[in-house]
Formats: sequence, structure tokens, C-alpha cells
Amino acid sequence: MSVETEEKHRTIFLVEDNKADIRLIQEAFKNSQLPHEVVTVRDGMDAMAYLRQEGDYTHAPRPDLILLDLNLPRKDGREVLAEIKADPVLKRIPVVVLTTSRNEDDIFHSYDLHVNCYITKSRNLTQLFQIVKGIEEFWLSTVTLPPE
Amino acid sequence: MKIDLESQTINITSLKEAPIHLSGQIQPHGVLLVLDEPELKILQVSNNTWSILGISAEDILQKKLEDLLDSFQIERIQAGLSSGNLEFINPTKIWIRKKGDDYAVFDAVFHRNAEGFLIVELEPAITQENIPFLSFYHLAKASISQLQKTANLRDFCQIIVQEVRKVTDFDRVMLYKFDDDGHGSVIAEEKLDTLEPYLGLHYPESDIPKPARKLFTSNSIRVIPNAQAQAVQMIPSVNPVSDRPVDLTNSILRSAAACHLEYLHNMGVGASLTISLIKDNKLWGLIACHHQSAKYVSYELRKACEFLGRVIFTEISAREETEDYDYRMNLTHIQSLLVEYMSQEDNFIDGLVKHQPNLLDLTGAKGAAVCFGDHFTLIGETPKEEDLVFLVQWLKNNAEEDFFFTDSLPQIYPDAERYKNVASGLLAIPISQRNYVLWFRPEVIQTVNWGGDPNKAFEVNQSNGNVRLCPRKSFELWKETVRLTSLPWKYVEIKAALELRKAIVNIVLRQADELAQLAQDLERSNAELKKFAYVASHDLQEPLNQVANYVQLLEMRYQEALDEDANEFITFAVEGVSLMQTLIDDVLAYSKVDTQAIAFQLTEVEKALEKALGNLRQRIAETGATITHDPLPTVMAGSTQLMQLFQNLIANAIKFRSHEAPQIHIGAERLEDEWLFSVKDNGIGIDPQFSDRIFVIFQRLHTRDEYHGTGMGLAICKKIIECHRGRIWVESQLGQGATFYFTIPVGGRERERRNGRKTQNNLFSRGQ
Repeated sequence: MSVETEEKHRTIFLVEDNKADIRLIQEAFKNSQLPHEVVTVRDGMDAMAYLRQEGDYTHAPRPDLILLDLNLPRKDGREVLAEIKADPVLKRIPVVVLTTSRNEDDIFHSYDLHVNCYITKSRNLTQLFQIVKGIEEFWLSTVTLPPE
Repeated sequence: MKIDLESQTINITSLKEAPIHLSGQIQPHGVLLVLDEPELKILQVSNNTWSILGISAEDILQKKLEDLLDSFQIERIQAGLSSGNLEFINPTKIWIRKKGDDYAVFDAVFHRNAEGFLIVELEPAITQENIPFLSFYHLAKASISQLQKTANLRDFCQIIVQEVRKVTDFDRVMLYKFDDDGHGSVIAEEKLDTLEPYLGLHYPESDIPKPARKLFTSNSIRVIPNAQAQAVQMIPSVNPVSDRPVDLTNSILRSAAACHLEYLHNMGVGASLTISLIKDNKLWGLIACHHQSAKYVSYELRKACEFLGRVIFTEISAREETEDYDYRMNLTHIQSLLVEYMSQEDNFIDGLVKHQPNLLDLTGAKGAAVCFGDHFTLIGETPKEEDLVFLVQWLKNNAEEDFFFTDSLPQIYPDAERYKNVASGLLAIPISQRNYVLWFRPEVIQTVNWGGDPNKAFEVNQSNGNVRLCPRKSFELWKETVRLTSLPWKYVEIKAALELRKAIVNIVLRQADELAQLAQDLERSNAELKKFAYVASHDLQEPLNQVANYVQLLEMRYQEALDEDANEFITFAVEGVSLMQTLIDDVLAYSKVDTQAIAFQLTEVEKALEKALGNLRQRIAETGATITHDPLPTVMAGSTQLMQLFQNLIANAIKFRSHEAPQIHIGAERLEDEWLFSVKDNGIGIDPQFSDRIFVIFQRLHTRDEYHGTGMGLAICKKIIECHRGRIWVESQLGQGATFYFTIPVGGRERERRNGRKTQNNLFSRGQ
């Protein structure tokens, strides 16, 4: 008798201002075999409110993975990253910076802030799909994440 | 008082100056009476009344003047004395009965001395001559109109001596001028042809000692009609009222100092007349008249000469001031030109030395140096730069004023003796803490015609412990070199230097402001470039990526649903976007090649090459390229840039391959002070006519269909090499492969460190 271990439903928290990019990432995650949900906010302020369960987000589920763009309105991605990594609770959530910027300063700065990994958005759709697949496989299946 | 006779240098001022005006002696040709007003009682009289008047001095003393003269004369004298101005009665003809009808006629001159005694001097009226005022006026007028035709000081002085000699008929008339240092020189002379000329002779300051000068200043005219005559005493020698020898400062008959008489004897002078030329209460010079035999000069004639001298000297003074003024104006003009030149030149120092007039003309110097920021700019005759380094150091420690000047530097800074020939005189102005402008003057190896040996200008006679000055015995010319001394700096020259200092400070400040402004602008534009680079890398790429991704999504999902045309259109769109993305990348890469931003470090060339090959491994594998290299050195370079350089050159070698597999060799060769690298391939080669063009940004030799590329790769290479202060070029023939050469200086680029300031947000500033 096989016991089906119910796969945990994953929450992927996407912080991205560009509608087109949101859609692309959503499309990429459609290929995923894992039960998941992509939750999206479009600026840094909302991102922090969501993570801290403030305002409209009092019942927001804690995400298993944060995909963070660096250039955001209202509150910059760098600030969001710094705040997450300075928060004793939030800092355990893996953060993947996913951005267009190839600026080395941005890369160094992100790692200085203990980002879990930094990925440059691809210009090539196939590559993008591969990246998303890689993220999903690595961060949501392979890596043992700290229990909530 | 002890005098060290061994010592060659005797301080003349330390010798006791004989108080000439209190000697109580007069010349024997006239009679001097000291009277007490108002009774005109005779307190003292010269001891020669017997020979001149036939009355013994004892018979005159304690009498009144009215006992000597008749009442008519006394009334006239009384009237003159009460008029308040003795000049109205000077001179007065006086007659005194000697015996019977024998009268002696005198020119009497009255004056009150500093003690308030009335002094009457009687000189025998030798001639009946009376210079009519009109002829005298004509004389003066003629002289002055002659003066107005002459231009310079020397000619003026010449006219004075001519005119004075014309009037007085002395054998020799000279005009002495005193220098600031008290030495005198004869600047004009009129004489009998048979006499030895004294023109141009210099006399040491001690020839006319201080007390004598003082008397010359207070007496505008001195006469010694007979230098051989024996002086006579005043009787009594002490004035009974004041209980002191009478003060004869302003007396005409006062005896000359013994050493002055001796001086005259040595020159063979029998009579002398000296007129003082006073300017600004200082003795400017003298008109000295000498006669070989005794010569009496009437009071009127003396006065005429004095007047002539004064009138003409007024002209001289004016002309001298005009000359000073002209010189000052000239310096002012030069100064304004220098300021103009300085503001025209990029470097203000060039403005001071590259034009005419230049720095030297501003102060009448023979050499000058501008010491600015440890760098010396020299012009004219100057000490060596290494000497100047020490001199400036010395100035910093010893000259605290706004300026420093000396006409004898070696005496205060002994090191300077080594270069006394160029810098016995120094004028220095500090521009700031460590910057100076210096002017130099050579030692005056001008041969000065001294009237004798200035070191023996006086002898010291020691008899009974009395020390007395004696003039030198000889007037033979001898040459004397003024050691370690330059011509003195004039006040106007120092002032001009100070004015220049102001101008330089202003210009330096302005240039510093401009530099700061420039640096600020540069920084701003740098910051804007960086911002642009960032925008280019991000904001411009985002929408492009979006287009690319969605076009691809379209292709992926709906390929089946679209016809061939639609698919072709999509392909064009994809290609266009892709080219745009590459262009943006390349522009960004080009803008990142930034001289200011590279951290130069010791870089192993082999590592940079390996990195580049790593980035190219896919293309190398695809094309089957073989890449070999010489042993590679370690150089001072930006490692990322070096990697980029190799990557671009090797990528080109692969891209422009011929039908054979690419064979690429990287060579390295040490030249004198640079490394020469080469990247040699066996590709299609380049037509030599394009060998310069290929390095120009966006220049391409092929269509994009033939060879992809933006035309920026080699432009980036060139810029990288420029940052390294090296050279890059290509040698090739069509169809025979190409070799790209580039050099990197061995010492690395001399970095102009900008105050150690690191630009912030520096793309390459992190150690990698």
C-alpha cells in the first residue's frame, strides 16, 4: 500500500513591478509539477507589508521563496532585501534576486546583504524558462528549508 | 680709546668726531666778532685785528660796535637788525678807520648763531665789482634755457659746472653726487685743460666724514680762499656769557677742519669754494670749486653761484624725479603687460618668461626663477636649480615678510658666495607657503674708479692718544672690486615685484577656481555617464527583453497557426531586437573603459588570457580553433580590461577566419621600456588601406549578413590601450591573416593620482 505523501503546497512570493515580466514568470511556473502559488506584489512597500502581514495582508501566508526584482517603485529592492535579511524571522526565507541589472555593484551589494542567489533575467525565453525551472527544482525540492 | 692697528677694518664712526664748529678758529683773511645784543657789546673777537685793522684784540674786547664804526653805519645796522631779516643788510659795506684817512673797507655779513649771539664777519672788500642783478638774471636765464634743451641728468650737471666756472673763474669746478651708501663720485667737471681729470672718480664715504657732511647740510656755501693760511684763534676762546666755545656752525670764516685742509694740500688746491646741493633735507651732492692758488671770492659772487646752483639744481631735482617717475611708469607698464601675458597663457609662469618684456625687466634683474610646486622655471643668469632648492628652504626659515631683498646675499647666507657672480643681489617674493619668485643680480665686478684705495681712505695717527682722521695721500686711480655686492634694489623695483605678487596670487587663485570648477564638471559628467551606463544596462534593456521574450513566446505557442510570412516577420523582429541588445551591451562596455576607474595592479597576462579563452570556449569549440602563446609576463595593468582586450582580439580572429580552422598565436616580446604583444591569425586578413579605420567606433568593413557585430570591438580595444598609455595597430594583407600588435609600458601608466580621491560608485574599483 503506497502512502501518498501529500506534497506541500508552495507559496512563491514574486516582487516585480513590470507586468510583462510577471506574466512571463507566471507562464514559466505553469510548467511546474509542484503544487504552488505565485503571489505577486508590485512595489517594495507592499512587499514589506505582505511579509510582515500588515494592512491588507494580515492573513498572508508565509512564502517559501521570494523572487525579488531590484528596481521597484516606492521602496527599492535593495532596501527590501536589507530589511528582510535584518529581520530575525524573515531572514530565513530564501531570497533570489532576479533582475535585469548586470551592474556588478548591484551583484556585490546583494551578496553583501546575504541574498541567497542573484540571477540575471535572460533575454531569451528558453533560458528564462530554464532559470525558473532551476529555481523551482533547487529551492523548492532539493534544498531543505528551515521549518516555519 | 684703543684702536687695533692690526685690524684692517676700522669703524670710522667709532672714531671721535672732531667738533669742527666748536674749534674756535677762523680763517685769517677776515675778522669775526661775537656781539651781545642789544648793546652790540663785543664778547669775542678773532686774534687778527692787529694785522687787518691795526687795532689789538684786547683793545676791542668789551667795547661796543659803535666804538668801532661811525654812527651812520651803526644806525643802518641797527635798522637792519630790528627788521627781523638779516638778509636785507647782508652784505653791508663797512668801513673802519685804520689810521688817519686810511680806511679798510669790508663786506660785513651778520647772522645769529644757535646760542643767540650776533656774529659779524668782516671780509676785506677786495674788488669794487658788483654783479648787476640783470646780468646775473641773464646768466641764469641762459643756463636754464640751455637746460631745457638737454635731456639727461649728466648733461644738466655739466651745464651747472660750466656756468659756475664761467662766473667764478676757478681752475676746476666739479659736481659730486652722493650715493645711498655715502660714497661720492664726480659726475661732472669743468677745468683747465692742464689739470688731471677727476671726472668719474669715486670717493669712499669716509672722505667727507659725518660731522663735515652735517656742516655742509647747514651751510649751503663754504669758502676757503687760502688753504695755506694759518688759522687764528678767537679771543677769549671761551665765550664769557655762555662759558663755552662759541658755536660757529653757520659762520663763513670758520676754519676748515685740519684734515680737510690737509686733503686740499694733497690735491694741490690753494683755494676752494663748496656749494651744497640739498634735496629733501639731505645732502644730495656738492659743487666743489678748486683753484691752484689762493683766490678770494666776493660775497656777491658767492651768492650768485649759490643762487645759480640752486636754480639749476631745482631743475635737476625735477629732472631726477622725472627720470625716477619715467622708470616707475615704465615698470608699471611692464607689470601690466606681464599680467596680460599671464592671463593669456595656460600656465601663468609661461606668461612671465616667454614674452618680451619679461620677468627680468620688471626689476632690472639679470636672472630670475619662479619656484612653483617644487618646480623651477629659470630665466637669465641664475644659480643652479639644486642651489635654489636650498636657497628657497633658507628663505622659508628666514624671510617672514611679504618680500625679501638684499644687495649682498653672501654676507647673510654664506652658501651664496659660490654663485656670487650671478646672485650677489636677491629680491624674493613669496606667492604662498612654498612658492617663490626670485630675482638675481650679479656681483658688481664693475670696476669702480675710486679716488685712491678705499681701504686706506684714512690713516690713523695716534699721537698722545689722540685719534685724528687724515685723508689719503694719493689720488692715483686704482681699481677696486666691490666684493659680494650687487647694485642696490630700488624702491620702485621692490614695489613692482610686490604688485606682481598680487597679480600672481589672483591668477593662481582664479586658475585654482577654474580647475576646481573643471573637476566638478568632470565629476558631474562622470556621474551622469555612470548613470547613463546604468540606465543603458537596465532601463533600456528591460523593454527590449520584453519585446524579445514575447515575440519568442508568440513563436513558441503559435508557430503552427501562423503562415510563413508571419514567421519570417517574427524572425526579423527577433534579429533586430537581438542586435539592439548587443549594441547596448557594447556601448556600455565602451563607456566602462574609463581611465579614472581602473585599478592598476600587477597582472599575470596569462591569467587574463585564460579568462578570455574561458569566455570564448563555445566559439573555440565550434570552430576548432587552436590557440598558442609565448611565455607571458606580468605587467602593470587593469586585469579586467586586459582580459577584454584579448577576448575582443581573439573573437575577431575566430570571426574573420578563412576556410581553414583558426590558428591563433599570442606573442610577447620585451622592448626597451614596454612589452609588445601580438595576436596573429590565419584568417581572411584586412586590406591595409583600412588599417586605421577599423579602430574607429561603429566602423565596419562587412555587412551584418556576412559578419555579425556592432563595429565596437576594436574601438573598445583602442580605448583600453589608450588608458594604458600604449599603442595598438594592425599589420595585414588581404588573404594572408592579420597580426594585431599592442604595447603596454613596463612601469604601467603613471597614474595621476587625484588627491588620492577614489571616484565613488566605481565600476571597477572593487578587488576581484
